[in-house]
Amino acid sequence: MPPRFEPVIIGFLCNWCSYTGADLAGVARLQYPPNLRPIRVMCTGMVHPDLVMEAFSQGADGVMIMGCHPGECHYLEGNTKAVVRAEVISIILRDIGVDPCRFELKWISSAEGSVFAELITDFTMRMQKLGPHKVNP
Amino acid sequence: MPIKIAGESLNACSGCEISILDMGERLLTLLEFATIVHLPLLMDSKHCDRKNNPQTVKLPKADVGLISGNIKTKENLELAQAMRDSCDFIIAFGTCATHGGIPALANSYQSDDLLGHCFNTVGTDKADSLPSDAVPGLMDVCYALDEHIRVDVCLPGCPPHPDHIFRALQSIEKKESFSLPEKSVCDNCPASRDGKGQVKTLKRALELPQWRVFDDTKEGFKCFLEQGFLCMGPVTRDGCGGDTDQARCIMAQVPCRGCYGPVKKEGNQRLAMLNALASNDIDISSLPETLSMLRFSGGHGLLRPLPRIKESE
Repeated sequence: MPPRFEPVIIGFLCNWCSYTGADLAGVARLQYPPNLRPIRVMCTGMVHPDLVMEAFSQGADGVMIMGCHPGECHYLEGNTKAVVRAEVISIILRDIGVDPCRFELKWISSAEGSVFAELITDFTMRMQKLGPHKVNP
Repeated sequence: MPIKIAGESLNACSGCEISILDMGERLLTLLEFATIVHLPLLMDSKHCDRKNNPQTVKLPKADVGLISGNIKTKENLELAQAMRDSCDFIIAFGTCATHGGIPALANSYQSDDLLGHCFNTVGTDKADSLPSDAVPGLMDVCYALDEHIRVDVCLPGCPPHPDHIFRALQSIEKKESFSLPEKSVCDNCPASRDGKGQVKTLKRALELPQWRVFDDTKEGFKCFLEQGFLCMGPVTRDGCGGDTDQARCIMAQVPCRGCYGPVKKEGNQRLAMLNALASNDIDISSLPETLSMLRFSGGHGLLRPLPRIKESE
């Protein structure tokens, strides 16, 4: 049996909610796949689409941006910026030949450790199904 | 000992070569320290012996090779590789060579569609076959120069400003390093900006931007984007005005079209522009199309024919 495909997933986690939520998942010893490489950012609104594109061009199989729920942004409206930027990212991904399913924007509050673990499990499984992302096919 | 300059045009329009001539009196200074040994668009030299051996590319040895245009045919590729072999130093000359340029807009169509459109238009009789003899074969897409050969200096611009051409050649002669400013057009734009403004949708270029919208107390004109016109200034490299002047189109009261390519070499003008518009609350779905934001930088696989992939689920 060939070894199972282990996708490389880059996660941009906002400092105030999602990163704390991920921390909570760890403290609570919840099980989730180790495929996510979390990158802590101050706010999802600061994640420039270039960063997501670079992740894909460097060979990431999936990219997730995770931030505070709408209306709960530490910087008031950073996550609304993230929403419109995510739309742009999806458009461009489709046009450069990357399946837009490989990119996701999700909300996780600092109390949602279990939601975080579920999301990561779910996303990793979907990336495993999709298979490796080929850079510049 | 003057340096030898060779030049070759691939899939190009000859505008870049005209820009060499546009140097004015500096052309005389240039010719003091450099000799042009091969430049088919400006002088009588060919890249092969037309009479005896028309199939083999033969180029004179040179110190600097200026290559304008992108790679669209097999002949372009062969010429580019021959230039690389015969020149010590290759300058990607003009936006076509550095980023794909206008011809790379063809990358949004399949090659078959392009040929079909050219040879079988509605008003013509159907061609039996496409020409295969005596015409070079088509590459699958339009490539920027550095996708196929190593490039030492990139000189973007449509065309590159004579100031930069002169400076680049001079610095090679003096063996100095050469760099262009990595700033956007906005950094050097004379327009006055008030802040984000209330623009929600962009206007079509069917009406004219206002040139002087301020009273006498405030000089200048208002930023095109703040007036609601699509201006590629924020995502385009500055330099079209040369070392001293401001951006050419802006000074002609026309929004920037992006001819100097992305600010950083590997940037994506369309991504950056859409991002800038979207993060400033402008509804990007109100734009009729956005592919033309890559009208000068469609190489490097940024423009591809649609539809490209089957979306899962």
